[in-house]
Amino acid sequence: MTTDVTDAGGMGLDVDALGNTDPILSIAEEVFSAMIDGEPGLLNPWYGDRPDPVEPMHAWVDVHEAGSGRVLIEAERGTVVELTRALLAMGPDEEVTEADMVDGLGEVANVVGGNVKALVPETGVLTLPQVSSERPPTPAEDLLHELALDWRGRLVVLSLWRLP
Amino acid sequence: MRALVIDDSRTMRRIVAGQLSNLGFETVEAADGRAALDLLEAGTEVELACIDWNMPVMNGLEFVGAVRENPAWRDVTLMMVTTESEQGQIVRALAAGAHEYLIKPFTPDAFREKLQLLGLVEYEEIA
Repeated sequence: MTTDVTDAGGMGLDVDALGNTDPILSIAEEVFSAMIDGEPGLLNPWYGDRPDPVEPMHAWVDVHEAGSGRVLIEAERGTVVELTRALLAMGPDEEVTEADMVDGLGEVANVVGGNVKALVPETGVLTLPQVSSERPPTPAEDLLHELALDWRGRLVVLSLWRLP
Repeated sequence: MRALVIDDSRTMRRIVAGQLSNLGFETVEAADGRAALDLLEAGTEVELACIDWNMPVMNGLEFVGAVRENPAWRDVTLMMVTTESEQGQIVRALAAGAHEYLIKPFTPDAFREKLQLLGLVEYEEIA
């Protein structure tokens, strides 16, 4: 697993207090098991080097008022196709459209972001999800927390960022 | 029974509508609160509305308030289905007139249990 905890600020979230029980990982596991896989155990920490992403897609939601932060999910396009197929319980021969992928990945970011927001003591406002092949501006010094995850052998990166 | 599924995410509408269909509901869908109100004002009759909170145009809380202001829709059961999970938000939604509150992500069993609590789905007999 690659987990970097670089700062305890931003979003009002005390990531240093996460210790060995990482609630961000717990949220991700719950989202994938309930919404996508229908069973636990298919999302795990990623071990080893990360491959360079091919055609990455990004989905993010921002939290405002309770501190300002961004929850970002990054995965290869091929991973998003399979994630969307699982999310919508589509058969192997059913076509996954671009609209399906954008909406599906955005909703995953929305649900993860909403649950991350709930960890913050004050009530914040969640933006609608955005999805892009372009990575949103994320200066390295604003990284709060990052999880590299293995979903059915595919890399999914979940990260939290401080916003100005 | 017919249910109105209100969510700006087409993915989530499909998931919720699919689970409702498995429980015997017909479904109609709307992408925001305003579109849902348009359906009701046009005479679409539903027993249940499953409502996301964060949506463009009109959010779920505003939709709940609008429905509760109209006596013609007093029999519509309103269930928030949302990522908004802070206690304060739940209290706000219930105070505005929502009957139940389901936090995303949810399992089909959790969804069914909420509808059972609302009396819209019968409890399964335990063999």
